[in-house]
Amino acid sequence: MTPAVSIHSLTKFYRKFKALDQVSFEVEEGDFFGFLGPNGAGKTTTINVVTGLANYKEGDVRIFGYNVRSDYRKTRALIGLVPQEFNFDPFLSAEQILLFEGGYFGYPWREAKKRAQELLESFDLAEKRKEGYKRLSGGMKRRLLIARALMHRPKILILDEPTAGVDLELRHRLWDFLRRLNRDGTTVFLTTHYIEEAEKLCNRIGVIHEGKIIALDPTDVLIRKMARDRVELFLKKPLYELPRELVSLDVALRDSGRKLQFEEKEEVVPRVLKALHEKGYEIEHIDVRRPTLEDAFLKLTKKEVHFDIDT
Amino acid sequence: MKSLVGFRTLVWREIYRFVSVFTQTIFPPVVSSFLYIFIFGLSLGERIETVHGFPYLVFLIPGLVMMYVIEGSYSNTSSSLFISRWANNIEELLVTPLSYFEMVLAVLIGGLVRSLVTATGVFLVSLFFVRFPIAHPLAVVYFVVLVSLSFSSVGMIVALFAEEFEHLSICTTFVITPLIFFGGVFHSIEMVPSAIKWLTVFNPMFYMINGLRYGMLGIADTPVFLSGAIVFVIFIALFSLTVYLFRIGFKLRK
Repeated sequence: MTPAVSIHSLTKFYRKFKALDQVSFEVEEGDFFGFLGPNGAGKTTTINVVTGLANYKEGDVRIFGYNVRSDYRKTRALIGLVPQEFNFDPFLSAEQILLFEGGYFGYPWREAKKRAQELLESFDLAEKRKEGYKRLSGGMKRRLLIARALMHRPKILILDEPTAGVDLELRHRLWDFLRRLNRDGTTVFLTTHYIEEAEKLCNRIGVIHEGKIIALDPTDVLIRKMARDRVELFLKKPLYELPRELVSLDVALRDSGRKLQFEEKEEVVPRVLKALHEKGYEIEHIDVRRPTLEDAFLKLTKKEVHFDIDT
Repeated sequence: MKSLVGFRTLVWREIYRFVSVFTQTIFPPVVSSFLYIFIFGLSLGERIETVHGFPYLVFLIPGLVMMYVIEGSYSNTSSSLFISRWANNIEELLVTPLSYFEMVLAVLIGGLVRSLVTATGVFLVSLFFVRFPIAHPLAVVYFVVLVSLSFSSVGMIVALFAEEFEHLSICTTFVITPLIFFGGVFHSIEMVPSAIKWLTVFNPMFYMINGLRYGMLGIADTPVFLSGAIVFVIFIALFSLTVYLFRIGFKLRK
C-alpha cells in the first residue's frame, strides 16, 4: 500500500542553519501518527515542507505517492492543514472562511454551503457563523481552524499543536473528534507538546530532535524500548547506608532512608529484595509505576543521553 | 472543472475584498476625478487653447481615466497581497490546489475589475461636463485591460518585496505618480520644454496614456502601434515575473 506520507533523506537549511538533517520516515494510510520533539526540533518545518509552505533542496517528499513539488496540486488536494497559528482572512466571517476554503478546493458554492453548515454545527460554531473571526474566543478560533481544514474532506489531516492553549474540556472533545475521524479512515498526523495527548491518541510515534529523527516506533514499543517500570520500596525502618551490592544497580535512597527507588531492569528487584532480606530489613509496601511516553520522550531528548535506536 | 471553481473563488474573494470597503476603494478616485475635471478642465482649461484640435477638458479625460486605472489596479493587488502576507492568511491560499499561475491571474483580475469600476466611474463623472464619441473602442479595451493587468502585477511584485505598509505608498509617491504626471495626463508632449522632451520617450506611462487617448479621441503623441507593442511587452514581462516569484515562493515560502 502506498504510504500516506513518505519522506526520504529530507535536508532543509534556513540560511546556514540545518533545520532538517536527512529526515526519513513514512506514515501509513490510516495511521494516527504523533510527531514529537522539543521546541525548534524541526516539527513545523517538516509540516511546512509536506504542505508546500517551505522550500527544500535535498530529499524526496511524497503524499500518497505524489511528489509534493512536481505534483503539488494533487498533494495539496489530499491534505488538510491545521496550522499552529491562526491565519484567517481578516475580512471574512466564520462562515465565509469555510465557504471560500471549500471554493479553493473545488467545491461549487451550493455544496460548500452545505458542507460549511455541517461543520459549523459539528464544531458548535453555528451561532457565530456571521461573526468576524476576531470576535471569536480562542477555543472557537481553534475549532474553526480544524473545520476549515476539513472542508474538502482531506485524506490526511495534519495538525500542528492543535490543543495548545485549549482548555481541558475542549481538548477532550477534540480528542474524541480526532479519534472518530481516524476510525472513519482519515490518516492523522499530529504534532503536540502534550505527550499524554500523543500517548492517548497515536498508534505510531516519531521523535525528532535537532533536525534528526531519533525514534520511530509504534507507541507501546517506543515506551517499552525507552523506559522501564519505576519501582519504589517502602521500608519499615530506615536504612542509613545503601548495601554495597546495591550501589552498582542505580538504586537511590530517599525519604531519610525509608524509600528505595530504582528502574526495573536486568532483574534488579530480586537482587534488591535479597540484599534487604540479608540485612534484616522488612518491606512495608511496593509501588510500581508503569512507564509513560513522557518518560521515553524525556530520555530520548535529554542532551547527555546518547541513542542507539534503529529508525 | 474543479480547478476553475477554485480560480473563480479566488477572483470572487478579490472582488469581494474591495467591494466590501467601497468607501475606501471606489468613492475616493471618483470624487477626486470630479475635482480634477472641475479645477483643471473647467477653470484652468478655458485659458488653454485646443490641444491636437480638442478642447483641453476633452484632452484631459483619457489621461485621468488612465491615471485611475493605474492607481486602482496597483492599490488593489498591492494591498490585498501585502495584507495577506502580514496577516499570514496567504498560507491559507498557498496550501490549496490552485496553480501558481491561477493564483496570480485571479489576483490580477481582482485588480482589473477594480480599475474598470473606477475608470467607468471617472468616465461617468466626465459626462456631466463634456460628451464626445469614443473613436476606437477596441483600442480603449486593449489599453485599459493590459495597463491594468500590468499595474496589478506591479502591485503584487511590490507587495512581495515590501516589509512594511509604508513601502507600498513609497512606490506610489516616488515612482508611479511622478511617471504618470510626466507621462502626459495633463499635457501633450508638445507642451514640454524641448530640453527635456527626449526624457518622455523613456517613460512607459507616456505610451499607456497616449494609447488610451488614441482609443478615446483618435489622437496621440506617438504612433498607436508603438504604444500597443510597448504595453504588450511590459505586460508579458511583469506578468511572467509575478508568476515566477510565486513559483519560487519568493517571500511566500520559508
